[in-house]
Amino acid sequence: MSSLHRRVGAGALAAVGAALWFTPAYPHAVCGSRIFPATLGIDDPGVDDELALPTLTYLPSNSGGSQEFDAEFSWSKTITPNTAIVVSDGATWQHPGGYGWEPLNTELQWGNFCWPEHEAMATVGFAVGWAGAGTGTQAQPFNTYQPVIDVGKGFGDLPTSMNLLRPVALTGELSETVPGQAWTSGNQNPTFLNWGFSVQYSLPYYNANVGEISNDFFKHLIPLTEFTFSKPVYNFAPGSNVTTGTIQPGVVYITGTYQVAVEAIIPLNGASGHGVGVVAQLDLYLDDLLPDSIGKPIFNPFGGK
Amino acid sequence: MTLRSLARLGASLAFALSAAAAFAHAQLEKAVPAVGGTVSSPSEIRLEFSEGVEPRFTGVALTSASGAAIPVGKSATAPGDNKILITKIGKPLPPGVYTVNWHAVSVDTHHTQGSFNFTVAP
Repeated sequence: MSSLHRRVGAGALAAVGAALWFTPAYPHAVCGSRIFPATLGIDDPGVDDELALPTLTYLPSNSGGSQEFDAEFSWSKTITPNTAIVVSDGATWQHPGGYGWEPLNTELQWGNFCWPEHEAMATVGFAVGWAGAGTGTQAQPFNTYQPVIDVGKGFGDLPTSMNLLRPVALTGELSETVPGQAWTSGNQNPTFLNWGFSVQYSLPYYNANVGEISNDFFKHLIPLTEFTFSKPVYNFAPGSNVTTGTIQPGVVYITGTYQVAVEAIIPLNGASGHGVGVVAQLDLYLDDLLPDSIGKPIFNPFGGK
Repeated sequence: MTLRSLARLGASLAFALSAAAAFAHAQLEKAVPAVGGTVSSPSEIRLEFSEGVEPRFTGVALTSASGAAIPVGKSATAPGDNKILITKIGKPLPPGVYTVNWHAVSVDTHHTQGSFNFTVAP
């Protein structure tokens, strides 16, 4: 239900210094009493019908030293209740560097494996970044292939003596980005290992399961922090296997039909960028907004959600 | 596609969706007795959801601190408001901590569930 959208900044692409190992990710997921919101650094662990439009990112200085602004979208469409196709794309402006349309990214997801009593959830996926679909600074001459696994665990199953910890949830993601060709114009295209996790504290969960929150705004907030990392693990140039990443504190405002999320982007090190950026996203829950049309699975022989 | 075009597309889509009938997962917004609250012995449990619920597939179980089941009546939505679910409690509750376990199916068939405690004061 979500697209993993990593830019392979290896080989020829590395030359333009535009590589940013940031992962716009999206949809929400429900397992037992837990709603895992769409998160911006890594994906959530479920499959659903959603439209993230837009996702806006500003970086004062990306990994290549350019100022960067991105405007992206991601549409997740369920085929069956447990499988989905995710289509993601968007535009990037860099200064210096110029404009580029990002390579089309598609992902087939299978999952919604849910253990409701323990609010434990997992989904696997396989993403392809398509060669030739990008333009300008984002032109990419080869496909990329990315197996992905996303997991989530809510702590609502803790005893009520630990009530204040029950709204906590963790999500995690592990993937590998494999380029479709090893060399481009004499430069190596590395394979990257990507991983990340989020720590969330759900005030909607608190309101429904721990203690009433009278303020109508605060009871829809989920403060969270995401951590994303990436490292070349194969076919990299000597001395270039540096781990890059971001720390992304932020908050999600969640309702029954949409969510708005804002996160700061703090580079992990100089190779990840400089200065604090920001990312914001409006995510529409199509399964809730349009449950009888584009918000339902194409094939759903048993009905229900 | 320019940034302005993207913004227009987003605004158009948001408008179109805002005009559509919207349903969602039924989340518990408010409860009486209050989630985590302390009350005198209640005669019913009143749950207010974010969306309308289907009473045939929505229910409440009540247990004491020892885990013993407390008899409750069949859950029903409030007249004229299917976001509110009312469950009568079969007998007066002695002082103690009680757990409400609820499960709900919203009118568009999404499933949700949850649990919370309340305390009956001496």
